[in-house]
Amino acid sequence: MKQQQVGTIVGSSVHLTGVIKDSSDITIFGSVEGEVSSEQKVIIEESAHVKGPIHAAEIIVSGSINGTISAKGKIELNPSGSVKGNIDATELLIHSGAIFIGKCTMPEKADSKVLHEDGEEFEAEDDVTKKPTASVMDDEEEENE
Amino acid sequence: MYYYIFESPKNSSERTYYERIRDIAREFSIAGEVTQSSPARSADELTQMGINKNYSTIVAIGSDEHVNKVASQIVLSNPPFPLAMGIISTDSKSMLHERWGFKKPEDACETLKYRKLERFDVGLIEPDRYFLTSARIECSKPSRITLEVDRWKAEAIIDRIEISGNLYILLERFLKEGSGLKAAFNWLVGKESIAADRSVFKAKIIRLSSQHPLPVMIGNEVVAKTPINIYRKLNALNIITKRDKVIQADAQGDRKLDS
Repeated sequence: MKQQQVGTIVGSSVHLTGVIKDSSDITIFGSVEGEVSSEQKVIIEESAHVKGPIHAAEIIVSGSINGTISAKGKIELNPSGSVKGNIDATELLIHSGAIFIGKCTMPEKADSKVLHEDGEEFEAEDDVTKKPTASVMDDEEEENE
Repeated sequence: MYYYIFESPKNSSERTYYERIRDIAREFSIAGEVTQSSPARSADELTQMGINKNYSTIVAIGSDEHVNKVASQIVLSNPPFPLAMGIISTDSKSMLHERWGFKKPEDACETLKYRKLERFDVGLIEPDRYFLTSARIECSKPSRITLEVDRWKAEAIIDRIEISGNLYILLERFLKEGSGLKAAFNWLVGKESIAADRSVFKAKIIRLSSQHPLPVMIGNEVVAKTPINIYRKLNALNIITKRDKVIQADAQGDRKLDS
């Protein structure tokens, strides 16, 4: 029969070791020991445990990861998500309740963004640091008045 | 020239349908040698006879099991001349029916006559069993299996495995949902209380083993027992497929749209 564009799904009753590579999406419910790599999206569901590096265009984490994760696009850590390892991404969204132990690297690009949970976007890292300073200044000015 | 291999009819309506195909094939000028599988002459043997007689088109008419036998024999015999396979699926619940099921015998014969060919991959279960549809394992109780694929290895407890001809693997584990009360409620409302945990993988080579030997089936036939090795043979079969429907808008319709 003809090839269909179905991604890889690792069910919750599966324990997988080795390298999984797919040009389509990869969704993990079970446990994986090894490298996970996709040209599109990797979704780590709540029941999933991954020990090893993950590379994809976009990564959504609701389960636990022990390893480095890198995405060309966005990485999203949902409230149940846990990452012990470094993150390398252009966009990063961490929801309240998520656990992240590691370093985060973002490429120095003019269009790199940090997304806050309320959906507010900040264009560059400098702007993010300037914003609280500005608000402190405003408070001081108010006190002086 | 066409060589038809009909499956032994299961009932009178199937017999009538087969007779209609024969009659309409004659009307469409695609009549040829007609054979029918039986306990005395299996579909594999009939296929080999057709290849030996240098027929350029072999048409399998019947269930998935019958079509798979014909397909397997064609790939196995590796004819030295280009051979096209025609399929008329008669089982409306089968995998092949979506692509090669026909409402009327006229549609089937028209497809065979216009010969739009497409190449298809087939799976090979070692040593020599090819399949176009899928091979499957159905366990009476959950069984632990080990799957070695390309660059990874997986262990799983499963109730069912299905491997398609292009080596898509579906692992299924059926889990009972909720309490007895919920199950009773689901039964009353006609809802299933079993959830399936599914895994889907793609592969080029599969090695499948299990704690206890499990039967591997193609259709209703047991063709092997685990452990097994499964490979993919790319573009192994030239199969006649339905023509694409071309919808032509008439000039009047265009004017209507424009206005």
